[in-house]
Amino acid sequence: MEDLLILISPRILALKNRVNRIEKRFKIVYVVIGGIILWVGISYACIKVLFYFKSIEVIGDLLNYRLLSMILLTFFSLLIISNIITSLSNLYISRDLELLHSMPVSSDKIYVAKAFYTLLDSSWMIAVFGIPVLIAFGWVYKTGALYYFHMLHCIFAFVIISANMGIMVTMILTNLFPAQRTKDILMLLTVIMIASLYLLFRLLRPERLVDPDSFFSIIHYMGALKKTDSPYLPTFWITSILWSLLTNKKGSPFIFNTLMLWSTALALTVINIWLSRWIYFKGYSKAHEAKRRIITGSFINNIIKKLLSPFMSQDLVLMIDKEIRTFFRDNTQWSQLLLLLALIVVYLYNFKVLPLEKAYIRIDILQNEIAFLNLGLSGFVVSAIATRFIYPSISSEGEAFWIIRSSPFSMHRFIWCKYLIYLPFMLILGGILIISTNIILNVSKTLMYSTSITLFFITFSIVAIALRIGAQYPNFRYENIAQISTGIGGLTFMIISVAFITLIMAIEAGPVYILFISEFKDMSISILKWIYIILSFSFVLFLTFFITYRSLKIAILRLERLET
Amino acid sequence: MIELVNLSKSYRNIKAVDKINLRIEDGTIFGFLGPNGAGKTTTIKMMAGVMNPTGGRIILDGIDLMNDPVSAKKIVGYIPDRPFLYERLTGWEFLKLISALYGMNGSTELDKKILRLLNLFEIAEWKDELIESYSHGMKQRLIMCSALIHDPKILIVDEPMVGLDPKAMRLVKEIFRKKAQEGMTLFISTHSLEVAQELCNEVAIIHKGRIVARGTLDDLKRGARLDGTLEDIFLKIIEEEMND
Repeated sequence: MEDLLILISPRILALKNRVNRIEKRFKIVYVVIGGIILWVGISYACIKVLFYFKSIEVIGDLLNYRLLSMILLTFFSLLIISNIITSLSNLYISRDLELLHSMPVSSDKIYVAKAFYTLLDSSWMIAVFGIPVLIAFGWVYKTGALYYFHMLHCIFAFVIISANMGIMVTMILTNLFPAQRTKDILMLLTVIMIASLYLLFRLLRPERLVDPDSFFSIIHYMGALKKTDSPYLPTFWITSILWSLLTNKKGSPFIFNTLMLWSTALALTVINIWLSRWIYFKGYSKAHEAKRRIITGSFINNIIKKLLSPFMSQDLVLMIDKEIRTFFRDNTQWSQLLLLLALIVVYLYNFKVLPLEKAYIRIDILQNEIAFLNLGLSGFVVSAIATRFIYPSISSEGEAFWIIRSSPFSMHRFIWCKYLIYLPFMLILGGILIISTNIILNVSKTLMYSTSITLFFITFSIVAIALRIGAQYPNFRYENIAQISTGIGGLTFMIISVAFITLIMAIEAGPVYILFISEFKDMSISILKWIYIILSFSFVLFLTFFITYRSLKIAILRLERLET
Repeated sequence: MIELVNLSKSYRNIKAVDKINLRIEDGTIFGFLGPNGAGKTTTIKMMAGVMNPTGGRIILDGIDLMNDPVSAKKIVGYIPDRPFLYERLTGWEFLKLISALYGMNGSTELDKKILRLLNLFEIAEWKDELIESYSHGMKQRLIMCSALIHDPKILIVDEPMVGLDPKAMRLVKEIFRKKAQEGMTLFISTHSLEVAQELCNEVAIIHKGRIVARGTLDDLKRGARLDGTLEDIFLKIIEEEMND
């Protein structure tokens, strides 16, 4: 036990040192306030939805039961995937492992310490998004303290089970696959699993459950609602425990399910520790043998080089070439493009299945309203992708950044190089999102042009802001590139980016409405309104150019003044 | 004493280490030399217990590393070529952590010992600073402190002088000699033939995973029929091996 505490201590000490030495402590207050607002926001939204469902006669409670079951099942799938990825990093790739394995500590103790951190690293999602949802259930059903007590221990058992399952998959896979390709195959498997799960969830169309018309009869509908998960799933046990507390119907199934939940959690923990004695170190040793690459990127590179060479100087072309080459050789990076593909498919599919015809207002007006809101959503998706790919692109230079700093290649050219690589990619992505959804929604010409052109210009600024924040929070000594976007810089970028998109939408809302109504009702627009429209759009144009220019300028200055 | 018996490591069809046999007596400073990619670091990683061999045995002071890794690691200090340090800990906290992992409790005696080592390696005044602010040489000295903190019987070192200034290099050489006189066995992998010539009582040259020469400097001179420096001998042996 003492060894375990020692093995756990470095991160606690590091956190203590980090907090003690933070110069701008108000940043912590911002994060705490942001967290509380997020919690309250999620809880409030859930309470609204749950009250709405509850008010539906006959099926209200069934709907909420089904919702609880679906939420837990979704969390369960996400937690297992998250644990597979995190355990791979913590148990097999983490840079301190060589030091720890050279110490006189048995490998199963190292396993337990690293599994503990895997559980913590993977389960924060439950704390941020899961707890407020479950609190909302307690609030709506006016339960007592007992519900909250059981909620907490059930969540605890739930994360233990998912962590153990994810870790078990990683340990077995690391031992099964050929040594050199373990990391690659695991990463690819994980990405495919996430993409499949996400697609499966969307194609199941859970929204149908709130739409009785899509079933042949009310009996079919009730039957679909009452259909429970497999009784062998931990989510079934938790749903049953929490639901019996919410509806005040405790009995023998309650005790049975609690026992099932905790016995599974403890049994899986013991099995994994036992398994780790046999296969953990063997897998660790195999994972550190030479690595082979899967994708070379040479084909794409040759085309890009040929295309760019007539227009750019050789150093810029070669830097772009290097950027693309390293991206495609880093399996953790390129494999996320598959996720991106799944995200686009699901995004477009969501618009395809929108039940607009059931709405109480005119369908053409509603379609155009949604199209304008879609501008914000598409901007949000572009920002989210920029957080993952563009914001960490400066840090991704890693400890090799000194090569750029010590070379005559200026920071000005360096930032431009990054900008030129990511901008076309993001413009295409944004274009696909907004034009496809507009076509699906069959919007008016005014909306089609105004939203598409606005997103086009917004993208210029989003890419620039991502680089500016990336230059402000560079981390060249990262342990895992995926962790960079989850830090304070990533959060700052998302907040700034969303605020920027909201501002643009607020400026454009009035003029777009005037244009749409005039087209819709075939009315002419007064000169005063034309001036207002032109001024608004000119201001948007000015704002995007100003933000883009300033962001890139600051990014260059930050890097020039950077002391590595 | 260190004993390597038919030690092997293969990656698919490549034999990184091919049936190495070595027996190194107590108090020896043993130099392990070879060109890039010869198998030095792989051998060292196996000896430190951070990589599994595919064949053979490693016996450290009579303890079989594969059968009883925890006991074997207790008597070994390991300095890797690219050491990892918890950058957000202070030097002092890092050494306390390492000593705890070696089962040394937080007594005042231990604190004195840590301070003595920090003074010996001339980094005591930085003990309360975060490791991320240390220079490369300071980090190297800190990792040496951590490897010596539990008075190991065997010290395994991969490239000991990387990042050290001449003064620190001299200091490290003196410490290594003193430790060997006290009975510690030092297994040093290095590219620096000057260091090996100056420091080691015995050397082995590894090429393509096999030991191609072994002995004292005089033994190697006789074997190579050459009366030059270790560098001349090394280059001649490697050239002969490549021609074969």
